[in-house]
Amino acid sequence: MSPKILSIDDSKAVRMIVQRAFRPYDCTICEASNGEEGLAVAANEKPDLILLDITMPVMDGVAMLAALKKNPELKDIPVIMLTAEHGRENVANIVSLGVRDYLVKPFKDEQIVEKAQGVLPLQPKPVAVAA
Amino acid sequence: MTLTSPHLINEVGDLLKSSVSEVFSTTLNMKTQPVALYDLRESDEMLIAGSVGFVGDVSGVVYIYVKASFARTLASRMLGMPESECGEDEMVNDVMGELSNMIVGSTKSLICDSGAACVLTIPSIIRGQNLSAKPVCLSEGLLLSIVSEDEPILLELIMKPLEETKN
Repeated sequence: MSPKILSIDDSKAVRMIVQRAFRPYDCTICEASNGEEGLAVAANEKPDLILLDITMPVMDGVAMLAALKKNPELKDIPVIMLTAEHGRENVANIVSLGVRDYLVKPFKDEQIVEKAQGVLPLQPKPVAVAA
Repeated sequence: MTLTSPHLINEVGDLLKSSVSEVFSTTLNMKTQPVALYDLRESDEMLIAGSVGFVGDVSGVVYIYVKASFARTLASRMLGMPESECGEDEMVNDVMGELSNMIVGSTKSLICDSGAACVLTIPSIIRGQNLSAKPVCLSEGLLLSIVSEDEPILLELIMKPLEETKN
């Protein structure tokens, strides 16, 4: 079964960029626009990886990560944090939250795929053969 | 690098220009070039401004003005789809908000690395003609013009002076 990636970002544009980046790979992308939705989708879909934005309305990435880590069924799902802030203090804070990795925005498509491949074995999509 | 009070706004302005260049290059594959000041707000063009603030030891707000038509081009580039498929204003606003967040987020990180702690505000979008931003408290302002692919971009930086920020 192909791996499932949950993309959580309040920006539809960023979610579309994530969809585009992983289009060549054999994986399924599901989405949520804030931490609260993200927890619900994670509970239903049991993704193999979560790409989590930090600054979001309703429930931000930090609060969602804390809730995720308290849930025995979800706590082991690897999380890669996405942040617009690359400052030393911010990076140290992110690392201390127990995430698998982080990626600073702006990022290129290949950078987010590379980060995901550090967690998941991603295979190129099989080429469709014409009948 | 340490930010110093008398030149604070100019130093943050330099960080801002550098952040715009980085974000445009990485996200949009577009080069930017600083140019002589051209106040885009004085034209009769329909404009979109993305705005994000930073609050803390150093406080201020950044407005990034572009023509509405250019904002649609930016959305098209960022999403990798034709302009005609970028949908209604909602998607263009979303892209302008995200670009503003990345630009000011990068600038804020450089400010924090200099030893001044601050946090970002949530991005907001303003649309209209002859826009202007007027701070209600004593503050300094700086306007910077850059171009990308012959399209003007106006950066407006409004900051509280350092002494007032710390009080």
